[in-house]
Amino acid sequence: MKIVGIAACTSGIAHTYIAKEKLTKAAESMGHKVKIETQGTVGAENKLTDEDIKNADVAIIAADIKISGKERFKNKKVLEVPTNIVIKSPKALIKKVEELLNEKE
Amino acid sequence: MLKKLQLKKHALTAISYMLPLVVAAGLLIAIGNLSGGAVIEDYSQSYSIPDALVSLGVLGMGLLAPVIAAGISYSIADRPGIAPGLFMGLIANSIGAGFLGGMLGGYLVGYFVNWLKKNLKVPNWAEGLMPMMILPLVSTIVIALLMYFVVGVPIVAATNALTEFLTNMRGTSNFIFGSVMGAMAAFDFGGPVNKTASLFADGLLLEGVYEPEAVKILASMVPPFGVTLSWVFSRFFKKKIYSSREVENIKVAFPMGITMITEGVIPIAAVDPLRVIASCTIGAAVGGGLSMMWEIGSPVPSGGMFIVPAMTDPLKFCLALFIGSLITGILLFALKKEPVKQEEFLEKEEEIDLSDLKLS
Repeated sequence: MKIVGIAACTSGIAHTYIAKEKLTKAAESMGHKVKIETQGTVGAENKLTDEDIKNADVAIIAADIKISGKERFKNKKVLEVPTNIVIKSPKALIKKVEELLNEKE
Repeated sequence: MLKKLQLKKHALTAISYMLPLVVAAGLLIAIGNLSGGAVIEDYSQSYSIPDALVSLGVLGMGLLAPVIAAGISYSIADRPGIAPGLFMGLIANSIGAGFLGGMLGGYLVGYFVNWLKKNLKVPNWAEGLMPMMILPLVSTIVIALLMYFVVGVPIVAATNALTEFLTNMRGTSNFIFGSVMGAMAAFDFGGPVNKTASLFADGLLLEGVYEPEAVKILASMVPPFGVTLSWVFSRFFKKKIYSSREVENIKVAFPMGITMITEGVIPIAAVDPLRVIASCTIGAAVGGGLSMMWEIGSPVPSGGMFIVPAMTDPLKFCLALFIGSLITGILLFALKKEPVKQEEFLEKEEEIDLSDLKLS
């Protein structure tokens, strides 16, 4: 499946990027396409385009704080978690997402 | 119910907006003070560049409560929360409710704006006035009066009591307080526990209590310095405790540590959390306790080694920092086993209960 996501943490210099790294690695190793936007203190990087979001099957928001641009995912299936879940067990999380998506269909 | 309110998330959002402000304002004061500046009392007289820097830094500190209030209220109510939030912060400043007052005001006004959005129905022609005039005006009036006349009073009293309690604390109780602060500040390397301790210290700084701020600065630097020391020991005694990858991380963590950014230690702690967290927390607790007991104060909330000269007793601060780091270093050196292979670590996952996650 295609995953888009956003990572954001409080100080915006470390956990944000670790979360992105973990999620990307786990998703790719499980054969998914993934793109994660980081909203650190420097602002948004690796921004999701409208195209990215349109084509995505699910959006994962890994954030400890309020993220900007959440309305972009209006018609999407969205999963919100704190960053530490993504950092501690990214693969289990993605497996869970797979299950949830299957349930819905 | 409480979980749905997401109090913590709102506070963390506000803190994330506040951090750059604290750092910039703190450094402005430090640079200005070190170059001989003082707050400008009268702008019609001539003043120097250092004077200008200090004054700007002090102005920036005055923005803390408004920014934290606006941040919380924005996190709760989106854009309509910002303006009334700023007002609440200003009220907190002027009635002497400080940081706590700002936070409370932010929560109150944020939820109130949300409630108004939901329950206040206006005729079609007034739709445009809703975000522009009605929401900010009504929410500001209602919560402002509440702040001025009702909730402000106990908060001011609480702030004063806390300030007095800390100022009067001496000796052993000081050591214990410093240890707790230090342990909290080092515990999760810049995570939420650290931010809680940090918030507390920043709040007290606004009340003119400088000691907790020194503890916070010390405890933020103990983990990176301690880890670096343990690596030095491992080289010296030829006991390999870090993989080459970890050594690379330490080389980054040390300079980050000098500027008081603890986060550099995270990659090292992630490989062996129990030992690293325990060693860092114990080292920071001892260092923090000493700093508090010796009554070292820091008028500047952030900046790492660069602002040490601005402290009330730079030499003793360095000594406390060194002792704390040394304890962390020795503990790590003694406790750590052979390095874990990086690949193994990346494969390893913690068991977390994900059963209540839902797609929305």
